[in-house]
Amino acid sequence: MTGRRHLASIFSFWCFVVGLFQTALAGHSEELLPPGFRPLPTGTHALIATKVVWKPGEELSNAIILIRNGRIESVGTNIAIPSDARIWQLKGATVYAGFIETYLMPDGAVAPVSTTDAFPVSHQSYAAGGSGFFGAPGGGTENIPVSSANPRIKPQFRSIDSLPKNESLRALREIGFTSGLAVPAKGIIRGTSSLISLSDPVDVRAVLKSDLFQHIALDTSDNETGAYPASLMGVIACIRQTLFDAQHYARVRNADLNSVRKRPEFNPALQALAPVIERKQPVMFEPGSVLMNDRAARIAREFQLSFAVVSSGEEWRRPDLLNGIAATFVVPVNFPSAPKLPNEEDWIQVSLDQLRAWDWAAENPAVLRRANRDIALTTYGLSDKKSFRKNLQLAIDRGLSEQDALAALTTVPAKLCGAEELLGTIEAGKLANLVVVSGSYFNPDSKVVAVWIEGRMYRVGDEDSKIAESETAAKPTEPDATPAKEEPEIHLRPPGAVADTVDSASTNRVAEVQTNDASKNPRARELQKQRVARILLAERGPITNPPSLLIRNAVIWTCGPEGILTNANMLVSGGRIQQVGFFKAEPGPDTMVIDAAGLHLTPGIVDCHSHAAILGDGNETGWPSTSMVRISDVLNSESESLYRQLAGGVTTINLLHGSANPIGGQNCVIKLRDGAAPEDLIFEQAPAGIKFALGENVKQSNWGEKFTTRFPQTRMGVRAFVQNRFVAARRYLQEWDAYRASRNSGLADAIEPRRDLELEAIGEILRGQRWIHCHAYRQDEMLMLTRLMQEFGVQIGTFQHALDAYKIADELAAAGIGVSAFSDWWGFKYELFDAIPFNGSLNRERGVLVSFHSDFSELARRLYVEAGKAMKYGGTSPDEALKFVTLNPAIQLRIDSHVGSLEPGKDADFVLWSKSPLDTGTVCLQTWIDGKKYFDREHDRQRTERLKQEHADLIAKVKKAASDGAAKNSGASGGKSFFSVSLEHQHEGEWRCLHE
Amino acid sequence: MVRMFFVYASLTLLSMLSGSAESVLLQNGFVHTVSGPTITNGFVLIENNRIARVGNADAQTNIPANVRVIDLGGKHLYPGLIALDTSLGLTEIEAVRATRDVSEVGEYTPEVASWVAVNADSELIPVARANGIACFEAAPRGGGVAGQSALMFATGWTYEEMIVKAPAALHLFWPSMELNLTAKERVREPAKVKSIEDQQKERRSKLKALEDFFDEARAYAKARDAAKEGNSSTFKPVPAWEAMTPFLNGERPVVIHADDVRQIRPAVNWAAANQIKIAIAGGRDSGLVVELLGRHRVPVIFECLFVQPVRDTESYDHLFTTPEMLRRAGVKTIFGFGSGGFAATSLRNLPYAAAQAIAFGLPEQEALKGLTLYPAELMGVSDRLGSIEPGKEATIVVFDGNLFDIRSNPRQMWIAGREVSLESRHTKLYERFRNRPGPGSGR
Repeated sequence: MTGRRHLASIFSFWCFVVGLFQTALAGHSEELLPPGFRPLPTGTHALIATKVVWKPGEELSNAIILIRNGRIESVGTNIAIPSDARIWQLKGATVYAGFIETYLMPDGAVAPVSTTDAFPVSHQSYAAGGSGFFGAPGGGTENIPVSSANPRIKPQFRSIDSLPKNESLRALREIGFTSGLAVPAKGIIRGTSSLISLSDPVDVRAVLKSDLFQHIALDTSDNETGAYPASLMGVIACIRQTLFDAQHYARVRNADLNSVRKRPEFNPALQALAPVIERKQPVMFEPGSVLMNDRAARIAREFQLSFAVVSSGEEWRRPDLLNGIAATFVVPVNFPSAPKLPNEEDWIQVSLDQLRAWDWAAENPAVLRRANRDIALTTYGLSDKKSFRKNLQLAIDRGLSEQDALAALTTVPAKLCGAEELLGTIEAGKLANLVVVSGSYFNPDSKVVAVWIEGRMYRVGDEDSKIAESETAAKPTEPDATPAKEEPEIHLRPPGAVADTVDSASTNRVAEVQTNDASKNPRARELQKQRVARILLAERGPITNPPSLLIRNAVIWTCGPEGILTNANMLVSGGRIQQVGFFKAEPGPDTMVIDAAGLHLTPGIVDCHSHAAILGDGNETGWPSTSMVRISDVLNSESESLYRQLAGGVTTINLLHGSANPIGGQNCVIKLRDGAAPEDLIFEQAPAGIKFALGENVKQSNWGEKFTTRFPQTRMGVRAFVQNRFVAARRYLQEWDAYRASRNSGLADAIEPRRDLELEAIGEILRGQRWIHCHAYRQDEMLMLTRLMQEFGVQIGTFQHALDAYKIADELAAAGIGVSAFSDWWGFKYELFDAIPFNGSLNRERGVLVSFHSDFSELARRLYVEAGKAMKYGGTSPDEALKFVTLNPAIQLRIDSHVGSLEPGKDADFVLWSKSPLDTGTVCLQTWIDGKKYFDREHDRQRTERLKQEHADLIAKVKKAASDGAAKNSGASGGKSFFSVSLEHQHEGEWRCLHE
Repeated sequence: MVRMFFVYASLTLLSMLSGSAESVLLQNGFVHTVSGPTITNGFVLIENNRIARVGNADAQTNIPANVRVIDLGGKHLYPGLIALDTSLGLTEIEAVRATRDVSEVGEYTPEVASWVAVNADSELIPVARANGIACFEAAPRGGGVAGQSALMFATGWTYEEMIVKAPAALHLFWPSMELNLTAKERVREPAKVKSIEDQQKERRSKLKALEDFFDEARAYAKARDAAKEGNSSTFKPVPAWEAMTPFLNGERPVVIHADDVRQIRPAVNWAAANQIKIAIAGGRDSGLVVELLGRHRVPVIFECLFVQPVRDTESYDHLFTTPEMLRRAGVKTIFGFGSGGFAATSLRNLPYAAAQAIAFGLPEQEALKGLTLYPAELMGVSDRLGSIEPGKEATIVVFDGNLFDIRSNPRQMWIAGREVSLESRHTKLYERFRNRPGPGSGR
C-alpha cells in the first residue's frame, strides 16, 4: 500500500496539469475535460463486422459488437443496436480480440539475453572489492546479504515507474496489439511487470494490473565493471542466494523481535521478493538458452516458485528438455534472415549449426506446441515490428495452427497475466480491445485497419480505408449484412497447407487498399516451408546398445590387479562388466560378439581436469572466493567436444572451475554420454568437489597492470585469504549447530540462520564431504595449503598441474594428496620454469598417486599419448603408465569403484584400440560407456558424410533464399542476426585452459 | 655502403661450430638414411665432421684404425631433426614480457633479422635438443612482412656459431580473409562494426598493398642492379628493400603464414604468378586445396595436428589426416608447431605430431622426411643436412627405439660432427630431486 501512495505522489504533478477531472482516458464519455482540451468522443459503439473471431476457433459471421464505456456490452448476430450507438460498418473485415504483447520492453530496450554475451570487462570493481565483497578492502562486512549491494539485483523495481513511450507502442498497435505486459529491462532480478493498455498517451492510468511477475534473467551482460556475478554460473548462484536471503529475511522480519539479538536490517530488495517466495507472485524467467530453460525450471522447483519462461527461440535444439518444464512459454518470432556473402568461398565460414538455427527458427513455435506447451507470442527481439506478421506466417507454414497462433496472442497471454476477465476474447464484460483486419490476420496481405483499446479506436495507416469508416446513417436495428452472400468466406488455413495468399487478397473487397507487392514472394515462402535441417540429436547418442556383449581375444589392459591379459575375453551386460579374463565364452542368442583379435581393450580414459562442456565463462572472476558457484548448473551437453573426446577414448571428465580465485567453484564429474541432457551427463556417484587455485593466477600476476588492489596479491596473502574463509565457515557451521541444538532443546522460536552458499560449500569441505582439487605449481604453495588444511583437519584431494610436486613428493605421499598433472608442459609462466616431464614418474616412485590430465579439450583427445610420456620420462612401466589416465584419476575423483579399470561389477566404460594404447601409432576404434557404444570409427565416416551433405543442402537453400529476396521479404529484417552463435557453441574449439 | 647488406650471406657457407673433429664409427644399428632405404644392420662413419661412409654391416671394411667405435646394439640412427617456424631462442617465459623477442611492431619489417636475437643460452634449446631436434628455424612473428628467419643449430656458444643459414626465409603473415560476422548485438560498439561490403573492400585493399610491396621491392632490386653496373647515380640503399632482394627471384623462400583456404589459395596463385618460392605455414585448410598445392609444388609447414577441427562438419580426424591428403597430391608436409611461446616449450613433441599423422595414414618414411629432408630442402641446406648420406654434415641422433614411438629416447647426438650433450634443465632437476634423501634418512 505504501507503494501505491508513493506512485500517486509521482503522478500527482501530471494530474494537476491535466486537471483533476480527467481520471480515465479510454472512452469514458461521461468525463468532461476542462476547456482547451479536445473533448472525449462518445462511448457507445456498434461494430458491424463480416466476421468476428470472438475466441480462437470460434467465429461469428455478420455479427455486432456493442461497446459501452470501454467495455464490450454484448456480441452476437442478433443484437439490437441502441439508438445512441455510433455505428461502424466493417464490411469484409475480420475482428479479433485485441492482442496482448507478453514481453513489452521499455524504449531502447536491450537485446534478448540469448543474443548477448559478457563483454570483456574493465574489472575495476575488483580493486574496490566489487559489490561489497567480504574479503576485500572497501567491501562491506559479514552478514550483508548479497542482494542489498548488487545493482543488478533489484526486485523492488516496478515497470510502472518506467512505462514505454507512445512511439514504440504505435508500431505494436499497427500490428494488432492493444495491451501488453510491460517488463523491466535490465539486471538479473529485474523487478515486476505490469499489464497495460497500449493507449495513447500511455501512463500510469493505462495500468490494468500491476506487479504481475517478478522478472529474472540469466543475463551476464550489463556488467562493465566485472563485478560478481560475471559468469553465467555466477548469475545462477546469485539468484539462488538471493532467494534464500529473501526466505531468511521473511523469517527474521516475521519473528518476534525480542528473540532476535541483532536488529534486523531493512532491505528493500529482499522485501520485494516476499510475494515470490510466498508463491503469491509468479516469476518470469528469461534464461537465454535452451539449456538454461531447464536450469530456470529447476531453480523454480527448488524454491517452489510458479513461473513462466521467455523462450530463446531455440527450443528446437532439445525438445526433450521441455518435458520437465511445466510452464507457459513466451515465444519470440525474431527469425534470422538469409545473408549474402561477397565470395563463394566465404560460405566456408558458416557453420552447420548456424544454418540449422536459421532453418529451424520458424518451426520453434510449432515445436513448443507439439510438446503441449502453452505459448504466448511476443515481438520481443524484433527491431522492426512490421516483420512480425511475415514471420508469424512462416511459423504457421511450419506447423503452428492459426488457432494456436491466435490463442498465443489473446487467450494464452490473458490467462498468463491473470486477466481473463478483461482480455483475450470478445465477450460481454471484457474490455473493448479489438483488432480489425481487412481479412485473415494470418495472411500478411490483409491489413490491420484499426485497433480498439478500451472502446477507443486507433486508426492504422491509411486514413482512406473504407472499412474503418462509420456509417451513422445505417438502420438502427439491423446490421447491413448484405455483403455476406457475395463474399467468399475466409477459412482458417490448415497447418502447412499451401497458403491462400493470392486468393484472399484478390477476392476480398477491401484488399486492394493495401496490396503490397514487395511482400509477396511466393517462391521464397515455398522455399522456407520445407525444413532441410535435421534434428540436432540425429547424429548423437549411443550407436549400439546390446543387451549383452562379448569381446573375444583382445589384449586387455585391465588396469586392475590382473594386469595386462593377452587373448582374453570380456563379458558385458546391463551396462556393467560381468567377467574379464580367460573364461570360456558362450555367447547367448542376444549377445553381441566382437572378435578383437589383434586389438587392445582398455578402460575408458578419465580426465581429471577439463573445462570442455561448460556453458558460458568457466571462471567466475567477480570474487576471490566463489565456492557457491556450481559447474553443474551450466553443463553444456551440446558441445561438439564431447564427441571429439569420445573419439580419443575418453569416457569420464572432471569439469573444473577456472583458476582465477583462491577458492573457486564446485566441480562436476560427467560421463561423455553424448546426446544426453545435461543432468544425464552427471556421474551420479562422484562425490562433491571444489576447485582451489594458488600462485600467479589468483594473485593476478598476469591479469594486466590494473590489477593490484584485490586481496590477495602475494602467496602470503593467498594463505591469509583461505584461512579467513575457513575460519568463517567454521563459525558458520557453529551457528547452525547452535541453532539445531536450540531447536532440539525445545526453543521453537529460534530463527534459522541465513543460508550462505559460499560458507556452506566450505563447510562441506570442513566436514569431509567435499574434495579440494587445487590448481598449483610451486612446491611452497602446495606445502602451504597442505599444512593449512591439516590445521583445519581437511584432507586435500588433488593438486592440479602440480608441476613442482616432484620436489615434495615425500610430503605429498605422507599427506595422501594426489597429483593430477600436465605430462610435460612447462616454462610458459614463471612459476612453471622448474617443471620437468619426469614429475609423474618421480612422484609415483615416491608413493604419490599420479594422473595426467588435459585441461584442454584438444589435448583430451590424445591423453593416451600423454600416458606414454610417463614411460618416456622416468621409465614408468606400461601398465602403470596407462593407469595415469584411467584408474589413478578415478581414484583421485573417488569414483574408482565404478570406473577406471576393467573388473567385474564396474561400469562397462571401455575402449578398443588398433594397437597398444601407449603406441603413438594407435587409433581409437570404439568407445563404450555403460555398455553402450558412443563412438565407432567406421560409423564416424558415414556420420561425417551425412553432416557434410546436410551442410551442403542448407548452403544451397540459404543461397537460394538470399537470392530470392527472402532476406528482405519473408525473413525478419529486424530479427536475430543470422550469424548469432548460440551460447552452446560460443566457445567451441576455443583454447579454454582458463589460465592454465 | 651497399656491401654491408651482403654480410649475412657469407654466414651460410660453413658451419661455424667449434670443437675437435673426431672420427667416429657407429655400427650395428638401424640406419634411417631418409634419402635411401633404411639399413637394418648398418654403420655410419664420421670423419672431419661429415658423414664419410654409410652402409650395411657387410660393407663395413677398411675402417681407419684410430676411430672411436660405438656399438649401437640395434638402436636407431636418424638424421638430426629440423624444426621450422619456431620461436626457440627468441622467447623464454611467455608470460614474462621481458623474455619475449618474437614479434616486432609494424606491418612491413623485412629488415628484422631473427638470428641476432637468439639467446644461445636459452634453457629451451637443450630441452628441444634432448628429443633429437638438431636444427631449428628462429622465425620472427608479426602482421604482414615480419622479417627474416635463420636456420640455427641447437648448439653453439654464440648465435653466430649456431647459424646454419641466414637469412633462410622471409616470413609473411598473409592478411586475414576471415569476415567479421559477429552479430551486432554481441559487439560492444555496434557502430564500429564494418559492413560485409566494407570488409570485402578492406580485404581487397590489404591484398593490393601486399602485392604493391613486392612490386616496389622488385623495382628497388632492379635499381640496385643498375647501380652495381654503374648505371645509376641516384640509387640509395634502403635496408628494408635490401632485405627483400633474396626472396624476389625464388633464390630463398617466403614462408607464408596462412590457415584459411581463402588465404592459401590467393597466396599460392600470387606466388606462382610472380615466381616467388614459397611454403605455407600453419596450413590448417591445406587439405581443402591439395590439388593447387601439388600443382605448384608448394610445401606445407603443417602446424595443426594438435588443433581441433574448426568446422562442425569436419570429421574429428580431419586435421590428423591432412598430411596424408597432401602426400597423395604430391605435397611435401613439414611438421611444425608454429612460433608461439607455448609451442617453443613443447617443441620436443614435434615427432609426435608426425606420429599422429602416421596413425592416421601417412607412411612413416614420409613423416620422417617431414622432420628432416623436407625442411632441409625448404631452407636450402639439403646438401648439408636432412639425411644420412656421405658428404653431408654429421648431424645424427641415436634413438633407443623408433623415433615416433613416444616410449623411445635419444641416447646420443652429433651436430655437424660434434657430439652434443642431451642434458637439459629438466634432466638436471630430475637428477637433483631424484637424489633428495627420502623420509627417515635424516635429511
